[in-house]
Amino acid sequence: MTGTRLEKPPMTNCADFQERLPELFETNANLSADEHLKSCENCTALVRDLEYIAQQAKLLLPIHDPSPGVWENIRSAIHSDSSQNNVNPSSAPPTASAPPTGR
Amino acid sequence: MSVGQTESKPAHQHLRRNPPIAGEAEAIAAAQAGDEKAFEMLYALHKRRVYSLCLRMLGNVAAAEDLTQDAFLQLYRKIGTFRGDSAFSTWLHRLSVNVVLMHLRKKGLPQISLEEALEPAQEDGPRKDLGARDLRLSGSIDRVTLERAIENLPPGYRLVFVLHDVEGYEHNEIADMLSCSIGNSKSQLHKARMKLRDLLRTGQRKETAV
Repeated sequence: MTGTRLEKPPMTNCADFQERLPELFETNANLSADEHLKSCENCTALVRDLEYIAQQAKLLLPIHDPSPGVWENIRSAIHSDSSQNNVNPSSAPPTASAPPTGR
Repeated sequence: MSVGQTESKPAHQHLRRNPPIAGEAEAIAAAQAGDEKAFEMLYALHKRRVYSLCLRMLGNVAAAEDLTQDAFLQLYRKIGTFRGDSAFSTWLHRLSVNVVLMHLRKKGLPQISLEEALEPAQEDGPRKDLGARDLRLSGSIDRVTLERAIENLPPGYRLVFVLHDVEGYEHNEIADMLSCSIGNSKSQLHKARMKLRDLLRTGQRKETAV
């Protein structure tokens, strides 16, 4: 293994650490203080990458637009709805089917 | 910063995702009264976010367009029930997620059952990095590369990753949406990030080799 600073790192330490990693992330543990990371370049790189991926994902803003045909289809369907049922949105009853709120 | 710090979202992140939109409140009221032009304005304001969500969850342009259409039709039928308890964009976003999940359930795809059946094949899963030679992702990852890697995630991983890391849902919300345990959602997320790292590193190695 080329990634560790120790000449012969105990491999079980890496396996153990990576086993614990999901929980360490979820509990916001201070990983920089982790003993294993102090001596393992491989796991340090892993942690850094996973943090980087999560950070970059948060920066992904909506950038894709649907084709113009999507609105045309929606408008046709609305007209079809209206002519068949003579229903407009204001007459829809306030039901519990609305999406949950509170996010 | 730890990857797990998404649990408590700062106010600015919420605003970034749901910024106030001028004229939206008036358009909502008019659309609730049946004004088609107002509804068209709401479509114009929110189509990008809804479509991007569908595309990232499904990884398929045609399906994403179909479900964007379904989501806005549902919006048209249900907009009268919007009471303003949450931001309109949040409400519409959740409605859209539900439309996608309903579609996947109807198709009987296994990724919605997030328990054992959802686990991708062993060879698709993240591998331990013991012995990896190139230790870390080199340089920065551009948005297109990351989007492409997300597209290539196994569907179950992709759903949880998009909902949590991209869209900012909490594990308890995801567990509720996908009818799985919170632990399962956390586990899938970790595997998704590991798999993404794998995909990104493979991409970098290919670029280096060219």
